[in-house]
Amino acid sequence: MKRFLASILALAMTLSLAACGGGGGAASGGGATSGGGGGNSGDGVKVTIFNTKSEINSAMEQMAKEYSDSHDGVTVEVYMSNDTVAAHMATKYASKDPYTIAMVDTKDVYSLGPEHAYDLTGQPYIANATGCVELDGKIASVPFCVEARGLIYNASAIEAIIGKDFVPSDYATLDAFTALLDQLVAGGMAAPVGIMKEDWSLAAHYLAQFIEERDDVDAFVADLKAGNVDLTSDAKFNSLMDTFDTLMKYNYAASSPIAAEREVSEQKLAEGEIAFMFGGNWDWAQMASFDYSEKLGMMPLPLNGTDDANTKLVGGPSKMLFVEASSDISDESRQAALDFLTWLFSDGSKWLTEDFALVPAISTISADSLDPLSKSVSEYNTAGKLIPSYNYMPDDHITLMGAEMQKYLAGQSDRAGLAGAIQNYWKNQA
Amino acid sequence: MRRNTLSYKCQQYAMFAGLSTIAFAAVVIIPFIYGLYLTLTSWDGVSVSKPFVGLANYVSTFQDAAFWQALGRTLIYTVIAVVLVNVVAFFLAYLVTSGVKGQNFFRAGFFTPNLIGGIVLGYVWKFVFNRAFTALGTSLSIGALSTSWLATTNGAMLCLIIVSVWQYAGYMMLIYVAGFMSVSKDLIEAAEVDGCNKAQATMNVTIPLMVSSFVQCLFLTLTRCFMVYDVNLSLTNGEPFGSSIMAAMHVYNQAFTYKNYGTGQAEALVLFLVCAIVGVTQVYVGKKAEVSA
Repeated sequence: MKRFLASILALAMTLSLAACGGGGGAASGGGATSGGGGGNSGDGVKVTIFNTKSEINSAMEQMAKEYSDSHDGVTVEVYMSNDTVAAHMATKYASKDPYTIAMVDTKDVYSLGPEHAYDLTGQPYIANATGCVELDGKIASVPFCVEARGLIYNASAIEAIIGKDFVPSDYATLDAFTALLDQLVAGGMAAPVGIMKEDWSLAAHYLAQFIEERDDVDAFVADLKAGNVDLTSDAKFNSLMDTFDTLMKYNYAASSPIAAEREVSEQKLAEGEIAFMFGGNWDWAQMASFDYSEKLGMMPLPLNGTDDANTKLVGGPSKMLFVEASSDISDESRQAALDFLTWLFSDGSKWLTEDFALVPAISTISADSLDPLSKSVSEYNTAGKLIPSYNYMPDDHITLMGAEMQKYLAGQSDRAGLAGAIQNYWKNQA
Repeated sequence: MRRNTLSYKCQQYAMFAGLSTIAFAAVVIIPFIYGLYLTLTSWDGVSVSKPFVGLANYVSTFQDAAFWQALGRTLIYTVIAVVLVNVVAFFLAYLVTSGVKGQNFFRAGFFTPNLIGGIVLGYVWKFVFNRAFTALGTSLSIGALSTSWLATTNGAMLCLIIVSVWQYAGYMMLIYVAGFMSVSKDLIEAAEVDGCNKAQATMNVTIPLMVSSFVQCLFLTLTRCFMVYDVNLSLTNGEPFGSSIMAAMHVYNQAFTYKNYGTGQAEALVLFLVCAIVGVTQVYVGKKAEVSA
């Protein structure tokens, strides 16, 4: 009998151990790194923020700390993960420990929002915000910032060779742009262009533009899926790829374009060894760490053609913030999260524009002290010269079309081969 | 107290194996069964609803050409890497048990790469292939080195194999060293007395007696190569143009990036079965070849 009791006791202990382990795991879970929070953790409500902009993470932790210190009873914590957003969020939802505020890409709002996004209707900043996502009659998310892509230029390097002011709009057509590139080569810049080989840059950013330029994007995508589009004779596609051919020809890494590393290209551009690279204002976070030239900026992709696509950057509101709606979050936490967002977009807005160096998507926030690239984006945004980015790309678009673009970049396929691959890809989506 | 009753046996089991059973069930058995259930749903990995779709995911697994390509690629990689790892490891072990000066230092040195995690290893070697080799190639004008191997399809596979060999050879070497040490000196001396030279003694006495080391090493390298993910991710990330996506990476992409969790899970199961069949067959055949002195 004694032994029986002993073994029962042992079993009970192992079970309770396992139970403790489970609980502890869920609380710390997800492999995310945390920071901020400040000294007053343990009292009051906690607001957790999921950050997906790694370049501003330490600044966000600083903000969280100061906010927690100056607001009694509220602790803000910032978490970051380099995992795929959907995968990471799935773990958090499964462990019933979601973030109070999550920063995700627009397409993630469409998949997560219906179940998880709290209705932001009536929040003070909504009236002045552009690009909020509306789902089933509720305002599901508010954009954290405005981001856009185009051609990043180093005007200091260009002016040193051409001997006059660099006015981007003078080189809006591919013909004028090519003439400029030839002039730069003649002036001693051996190869004036850098191309990022990353699949997200090639597929999600560059290639996507021939779709985004359409007047009716949804109808065009429907046509693509139905197989009614012949890209080899499509003016916008050919114009975009003509420009890509030119960029490839003047690429500093033309002999081995797939080996080009993002950091190296960005350093060359920042320091003026090359003059142009296709990218976006997010590239500043990297470029700022180098000994950068004075005059940097962004211009629309030079395109031959009859439309006005070569006067606009592509982009818009991005990095959506939504507040968790489910009952896994207490009402007090949710209210604290809403209060925090209200603060971020009013009294706390200097964090957004100065410390994070982001272009605000809320019109009441002034943006005077932006970095050079964001300044360009802000100017184009204010002038209404942004082509909206298409947020409904299928999830495998980056990987599969990125591979096709890399083949094209490496000279392993031609225009017809690329066009065929794109058409097939979209037909398979139907 | 009677010792052959069921309740006594259960108690004994609970006492000695209860904790491990619970832990094993919690982290292996239950997730595995749950995973099997998920292959029958069209879950996207996030949403609350998990619609039941029967065997549709297995059908799409068999229709997923990219998966079979990745599996074929993994097979080629595995065959080459397993052979190279074991050949290199065996000769390293031979070297460091033959009594060369400072052999303990060499043992430690060859083993060190295994202590570095796969992700870090990938980034280190990426730097070596992209920068160090190309700089060397350019300055010495060696054509084959002047462009990065990682930028070509065959080159990227070669890089993966080189890094895997570098990573695992030291670990396998330790197992082979143990094998060499376990063979009694008497037997080798007896063989030499009988007229064997050193090579013959190794071939006919030492190697047959350390077959169990070969079985272990082959099993470890086979399963690790089939499941390779970390080096794949950090060294090539499937590039160039998706030509170095291994089976595990394709499964991850399918499940988490393309949000076809059910199909990804079904493909993971196929990968598991292939790996299990190859591994078990190899151990079974290897065990038959074992001899004892």
